[in-house]
Amino acid sequence: MLPAGVHFDTYGSEAALLKTTRARVAVAALIVALLALPLTAGAYLHGVATQAFITLIAVLGLHVTVGMAGQINIAQSAFVGVGAFATAKLAGYGLPFWVIIPAAALITGAVSVLFALPAARVKGFYLALTTLAAQVLFPIVILGLPSDWLGGLVGMPVDPLVVFGYPVASPIAFYYFTFALALVMTLAAFNLHRSRFGRALKAVRDNDVAAEVMGINVLRLKLSAFFTGSMFAGVAGACTAWFIQFVTAESFTLFASVWFLGMLIVGGLQHPIGAILGVLFITVLQEGLHESATAIMRGTHDMGGAIFAATNVALGACILLALIFEPRGLVHRWMVLKNTLQLWPFPPR
Amino acid sequence: MTRFVQALIDGSLVGLVYGLIALSFVVIYRASQIVNLAQGEVLVIGALFVWTFTIGTPLAGVKLPLPVGILLALAACVVLGLLLERLVFRPLIGQPAFAIFMASIALLVMLRGLAQLIWTAETRPFPQVLPSGAFEIGPFLFSTRLLIGGAFTVALTLALHAFFTQSRHGLRLAAVAEDHNTALSLGVSVRSAIAIAWILGAIVATFGAIVLLSGRIVSLEVASIGFKALPVALLGGLESVRGAPLAGILIGVGEALAMTYLDPLTSGVASNVLPFAVMIAVLLIRPQGLFGWKKIERL
Repeated sequence: MLPAGVHFDTYGSEAALLKTTRARVAVAALIVALLALPLTAGAYLHGVATQAFITLIAVLGLHVTVGMAGQINIAQSAFVGVGAFATAKLAGYGLPFWVIIPAAALITGAVSVLFALPAARVKGFYLALTTLAAQVLFPIVILGLPSDWLGGLVGMPVDPLVVFGYPVASPIAFYYFTFALALVMTLAAFNLHRSRFGRALKAVRDNDVAAEVMGINVLRLKLSAFFTGSMFAGVAGACTAWFIQFVTAESFTLFASVWFLGMLIVGGLQHPIGAILGVLFITVLQEGLHESATAIMRGTHDMGGAIFAATNVALGACILLALIFEPRGLVHRWMVLKNTLQLWPFPPR
Repeated sequence: MTRFVQALIDGSLVGLVYGLIALSFVVIYRASQIVNLAQGEVLVIGALFVWTFTIGTPLAGVKLPLPVGILLALAACVVLGLLLERLVFRPLIGQPAFAIFMASIALLVMLRGLAQLIWTAETRPFPQVLPSGAFEIGPFLFSTRLLIGGAFTVALTLALHAFFTQSRHGLRLAAVAEDHNTALSLGVSVRSAIAIAWILGAIVATFGAIVLLSGRIVSLEVASIGFKALPVALLGGLESVRGAPLAGILIGVGEALAMTYLDPLTSGVASNVLPFAVMIAVLLIRPQGLFGWKKIERL
């Protein structure tokens, strides 16, 4: 909701993403703060932030497939993996980054459509099962292919990222690279909501029979929903490949897929801000757990395993709590808070 | 020819184990309309309960006879089922299917984490509940463990089928599998149905663990069997108790044949891919599976 007294004269200003000066200032301040982050914070913090940007891109893709179109996808991590392997392979041919990223996105989208095809016959959780098949098959296929194709059991080294002749070698430079990509993808996700395609996705989510009656080709739309969501995953995969510089099939597990979904559910499915809040919340939770566990269990063996387990328990609990107590996610609470502040001193609706 | 028949025998016996685990999916779905993706983790927790009460307690100084240990493990499964119903699924009754499905995904990571926190990730020996070894009939080899397990699967299937189709209580569960709100308005307790579903599901999964693991080792990675049993449950039809072992045999035989004839050519990929290829084919061609209920939708 907008503050009292704000009105628009043109359709353009009505449809703008940032409608008020206050919103524009807030977003500009956020961007400046994020630009300044690596200059002021330590290497650990901006490493975490880089990872969070990559995760955000993948979760925004899930937001399109799951949140906007209502199609459950539990293979986002495998699709990120497809993007990462595509990047590793294409970077090996010496292609420039502005070819690799769109190519990785398109390849990932094409792979996801393959698994979305059963949408022609089934819907709901049945469709989720085919994405589960994608997630389970991903390592089997990578490991089964001849090892000179995609590295097989060993994995594939990734040639370092070069942007217009300048190698992006330092972590700080790579932070800015992922930040720029995350910014572009966030903008894309916000824009989807005000396009015909985005409205059609939401129509299918709310009632696919009614959507079909209104002239939407539901099957094609569901396939495009997977395609679009997985293109985000492909971009996230490209970043991952350059970030970890060595891709193996084991890096892209079912657990990562569930974590992506968990972030989206905790943050809120239906709004891109939900994806941002979810990634922020779960990343802070994860790092907090990691820090406190390191402090408590110093010297215990198998500490990494126990931390991983504790994180899983915490994440599972967060998803369950969100589903039971606030299915609309953190973004709803955020909106309530924002409205209250904007309407002050009048009582909130 | 001998190789072919041996592949058929091995495939059917292993397939019956898949069928038993698929049965644990089916009983949960058949009584509560929940597809529980976390079933593999439930199986691992059941196996760890069995370990705790048969091998774990002697280490702590209390020696229990094997049958008592297994009964205690099954009792622990009942408690687990009741806890899951009370804490997770009761608050979600009446929520859209999406939320309930997501809850089972959340359970997947949560149960895995809990199992690792409580029992740690190390591998453990599983007690010898069923006899090991194999016997020969002519040129063919039969695994004693799998044969007893297979007979048990068939008996359990018939018993559960009778429960779901003959008993008053089982028939009531069918209403819950159809629609929660309709069931509630007919006076059927969805709470008790879901509790029964999870208790049965955990117990059947533990039986599956016993047949699968008897005399072998249990680790958290065993949970991946759950994803192998899911295509079996889908092929048989999620509502069909008798479909599960039958589909298990079909997929087991297909997998054994792929393992014998295709794996040497595809470096082991064919047999692993087969169940999921079948799953996608089933969803494309006959989404309700071989014996499932056909859902009719109206505008």
